[in-house]
Parts: sequence; structure tokens; C-alpha cells
Amino acid sequence: MSAIDPLTELEDVRGDGWLFETMRENLASGSLGLGFIYSTLERLAERHGLHDAILVLHDETLGAQSFRLHQLSVARSLLGQLGGESGLHCQPDSVPAIESDAVQTVCQLALSLHVARFGAAHDPLTNISNRRSFDEALRIAAARSARYGWAFSLVILDLDDFKAVNDRAGHEFGDYVLRQFGFALRHALRHGDTAARLGGDEFAVILSNAEGTEAVGFVDRLRTHLKATGDLVDFTMGTATSPRDSTDPAELVRIADARLYERKGIRIL
Amino acid sequence: MISSTEEDFELELRSLPGVLNVAVGHDERGDIDTVTLVVYGPNAPETHAVAHQIANLYFPGAEIVVEDANQAVRPVESLGRVQLVRAEFDAARGHCEVELQHRGRNGVGTVVSGALIGGASATLAALADLGYEVPFTLQSVTGVSVIRDWPVIVVLRPLGEGPDRYGVARSDDEFAAAAKATLDALNRYLLTRS
Repeated sequence: MSAIDPLTELEDVRGDGWLFETMRENLASGSLGLGFIYSTLERLAERHGLHDAILVLHDETLGAQSFRLHQLSVARSLLGQLGGESGLHCQPDSVPAIESDAVQTVCQLALSLHVARFGAAHDPLTNISNRRSFDEALRIAAARSARYGWAFSLVILDLDDFKAVNDRAGHEFGDYVLRQFGFALRHALRHGDTAARLGGDEFAVILSNAEGTEAVGFVDRLRTHLKATGDLVDFTMGTATSPRDSTDPAELVRIADARLYERKGIRIL
Repeated sequence: MISSTEEDFELELRSLPGVLNVAVGHDERGDIDTVTLVVYGPNAPETHAVAHQIANLYFPGAEIVVEDANQAVRPVESLGRVQLVRAEFDAARGHCEVELQHRGRNGVGTVVSGALIGGASATLAALADLGYEVPFTLQSVTGVSVIRDWPVIVVLRPLGEGPDRYGVARSDDEFAAAAKATLDALNRYLLTRS
């Protein structure tokens, strides 16, 4: 039985009781993302006996996005009827407008949170980790290495003559090369490894459970994938291994950088 | 609940230009085996290629299907939604007038009442002027004015069997909010009959 809202003296048709509980459960497990939107649609369907529900949301980054009950694809003909109009479209159309409005609002929040969380940790061009999340991953790996002796390798990679690529073929092609390199990097990783774009044409990788020799296998895999994407660019790299070289993150970066520049034939003063 | 890896995978696909919808299918072991993208825009083939690359990173072997929505999506104007053109309330005389527009036609409803009931009743009268037979009666109009920006809530009861319809809207004044809330309660009903 629905409760009476003391404020409006209406039945609690807004449904924010169950929505609030659903949000709290998901926040507690740290999972207020796209999964929340689907689970909200499923709970809404249970409450109202819906056999179909499509939620159309607008996001600044993604544009119009539709979510359908049970992750079913939205057929083209159906999209034509909806026309990308924001809101909850359901069959049968029996969800009170207030509850529909509340569902739309909290799901919009969930989508925005997920986009913001993903964006805060990833480089938008290559979709690998950004500098900030890499620094955090390196700090954690180094702390574990210092405490438990777990070995890992830090690899820093720099694209060769990337400035010339940009100058000759333009920045758009330069971005394409960076994206392809990012894809190749992700392909070359093993489970538990981390890749990041540190900025410009500089990338870094943490190879977990690696004592130095694993870097050879990683480079072989990376070259294979670069070849598959057209061999657009070559790279130079430097490595440092923890705990052998150091367990201090900044020192590991300095050592790997020095080895990288040595290979490039640049002396650091 | 889908895993965080699946969520990031789906979000990455949704961030491709023109992607309106992503649906994933699972095999009997629960692994993702198909991914369907509905794409609107000029780059469906390119989106297909990039989606393949992304899927290879997360779920190698998943089949990628791209549905091109270019032919299907119609502009919002042709949807047949009833729009509020004007809502005027004369507090001294209790004169309420609402003008609505639907597919280029205008309808005007006039009643004498207070702002809340008047906003809803004049909207129902304007719908009748547009030729709609609206099988609902006005049950209540509530404005919670003690809270700033709190919306007006309209409850409509069907003449026959069926659940009540609820509409909610905010506006600069209660009269316009009541008119908008009435449309909010009815627009989806009207869409199915336009």
C-alpha cells in the first residue's frame, strides 16, 4: 500500500521511496553507473507490470542516449516514433508522470556520474588511463612492492618523430596515430597491467608481477599490434623495475625516463 | 547487475559519435556474444569499424551489429505533442485563458476560476477546442507554495476504468504551472491517439 506524502497529502506516487532505496543500495556498493539505469527500469517494470520501457536521456558528452528494459536493442522504427525525445516511454503507459519524472531525474544523475567518473580517470583521445589515475596506480604498486616485495616493471614509451607526423600530415592524422597507438597498447596488456597516456606522445605502462624480462614479451606484443594497425609510428622506451631499482614512484619514473633518453641519444643534465 | 567492465565497455561504445543505443546479448555461459549499436549520423561504417576494435579489447569474438537509424528518426516537431502557447490569468476577475498549439492549429480555452483549478480547466477547454475528446475529469490541483520552486501537481481521473494520471510542472507562476502540469499528465495519452 502506498504511503501518504505528508507534504502534498497525496499518495506517494512519486515513488521516490523505492527509488531512494535503490539509489542507496547502489551507492553503497559504488555502482551508480549504467547498471543502475537498467536495474531501475527492471524494478519499475515489476512495480507497474510493464512489458516494455525505454528511457531517453541527454548527456552533454554523449548526446541523446536510449536505454531499454533488459538491455534490448531499440529498433529503428521505435526510435523514429520517439524522435530522441527525453523521457520515459513505456507500455502500457500507466506510470504516473511524477514517478516517471523522478526515474528520469535519478537515471540522468547516474549517467552523468558514470560519464564523469570514466572521464576523470581516462584520456579522452585514447580511452586509456590518464596521468592522474596512472600516478595513483603507480603509487599503489610501489607501496605494495615496498611492503610485500611484489615485483613490477614501469615502462615509459615515447613515439619517435611524432612532431614530424603532426607537421607533415596535420593534427587530425596525429590524433589518429595516437588513438591507434592507444589501441595497440591496450591489446598488448595482460590482465592486471595498466596503460596510460602521460601527455603528448608519451605513454606509460605498469607490468604487474614482472621482474624485467616480461617487458620483452610486452614489446613483442605491442609491435605485432602496431603492425596490424598499419605500422604508423615507432617508439622508444625505458624501463625501471621495483623493488630492484627502487620502490619510490618518483625515482622509478626518473630511472625509466633516463633509460629512455639514453636510448634516444639524449643526455639529461 | 552488469559488471563494471561491461558498464565501461558500454559507455565507451556510447561515446562513439552518433550512437543512440547499445544493447548486449549474452550466450548461455553469460559471456557477451552480440553487441547491437543504433547509430544516427553520417559515419555508420566508421562507427562499425571502431566498435569492432573496442569490442576486441573487452570481449573478443563478440558479433557487432550496427543499425542505421538515419531513415527512421523523424524531427520532434512531427511528433504531435501539444504545446502551450500562452497562459494568461487575471486575478481581479478570475479570468483564465490558455492557448495551445498542435500541428499548426491553435485552440483557446477560457474559464472563470482561481489560478490552480483555472490553469488546469482552461487547458482541458483548449484541448476540447482543438478537437480532442479527453475522457478524464480534474480530480485535484495542488501547489505547494511553501517551498520555493515546488511544482504544481495535477491529478486526472478517467471517466472509465483505468489508473489516475499525474502531471507535474514548474513555471514562473502557478497558473502556467497548472496548465503545463495538465499537459504533462495528458501528453503521452494524446500522443498515442494523434
